[in-house]
Amino acid sequence: MATGISGNTSSSVMESVGPNIIHHVSNSDISHPIIHFPKIFGLDFSVTKHVLMLWIVSLVVLLSIIIPIRKFLESKKDIPSGWVNLIEIITKFFRDNIVRPNVGSKWTMTWTPLILTFFFFILFSNAIGMVPIFDLLGLFNAYVLPEKSSVISGMLHGGVTATGNFNVTGALATITFFSIIIAGSIAHGFIQHWKNLVPHGLPWPVYIILVPIEIMGLFVKPFALTMRLAANMTGGHIAILALLSLMAIFGEMFSSTAAGVGVAFISIPMAVAISGLEIIVILVQAYVFSLLTSVFIGMAINVHH
Amino acid sequence: MEHVLLVPLGMGLIVIGAGYGIGRFTAAAAESIARQPEASDKITGAVNLPLFLLEGVAILAEVFTFLMLILK
Repeated sequence: MATGISGNTSSSVMESVGPNIIHHVSNSDISHPIIHFPKIFGLDFSVTKHVLMLWIVSLVVLLSIIIPIRKFLESKKDIPSGWVNLIEIITKFFRDNIVRPNVGSKWTMTWTPLILTFFFFILFSNAIGMVPIFDLLGLFNAYVLPEKSSVISGMLHGGVTATGNFNVTGALATITFFSIIIAGSIAHGFIQHWKNLVPHGLPWPVYIILVPIEIMGLFVKPFALTMRLAANMTGGHIAILALLSLMAIFGEMFSSTAAGVGVAFISIPMAVAISGLEIIVILVQAYVFSLLTSVFIGMAINVHH
Repeated sequence: MEHVLLVPLGMGLIVIGAGYGIGRFTAAAAESIARQPEASDKITGAVNLPLFLLEGVAILAEVFTFLMLILK
């Protein structure tokens, strides 16, 4: 953030604040990727900052969730300890309090892994956006290193939440979309699943209204999931950055440093408060995505006739 | 110029609607937990899902308002 604001000194502060915020929360330009890859089948596989964050998230999930659990399973102990204990509490909570009441006992063990994967992946990718790794790297690059490293300044687009990108959450919601269809198909058969979308035994004029509504609902469910997660993650960051930008805006408006410093006493505590709120939002959104996925899967399995 | 002025108005309306909805939910949940403290888990579970659906609608409206702002 600090490097971003001071980097745009050419135009006036008022004009550069908005683009600066958008630049911070949105994906980096595909023409300036962090790591260059050749085109395969006309698709550009170059790594932009959201892709980089996704890779980091996968690495963190691998190191902190998958490998400890594998080690615990290989150790043949009955009682986990330490970190695995925490994972067990979360797993048990999701199995018993979220998946089982929604999906039903018969299919619990089929769908718990998917729901837990969603939860851990979304939780980590939400949370990593709150860790200012790249901002610290930028400060390190600008003030500590004797000469600026081009690798670091290439990565200097800010450590953002990968789930703040609509494409990422759209991909996650697509998995939900197909899981709903697969869940219905293996529980009732493929044809019966589509018949189950509307209740049976209604007078035929009702179906003229009901069938389009249900088909729309089929797509609205994952669409709402996409929008909810991405907008929540982007919104919090925009709010924090807007509050911090107030310092620059006031400093420019009254053309005095004192005004900017004075506003800092209000805007920094508010930014801290919103950061605290963000931590709650991170947990709640990961929980909501997994909860709603299990509810939708449960709706496909336990059909009300 | 006018439509840019209407965007904050729309956002305010969304906040009023969402705030009213969440307020009603929380009030009802708090009341029923006060009446039956032993059922608080069930009440929280029942309140959660509609609350998130409501939040989703509000967020969708915010996103569309924001799109109106940036797409002009």
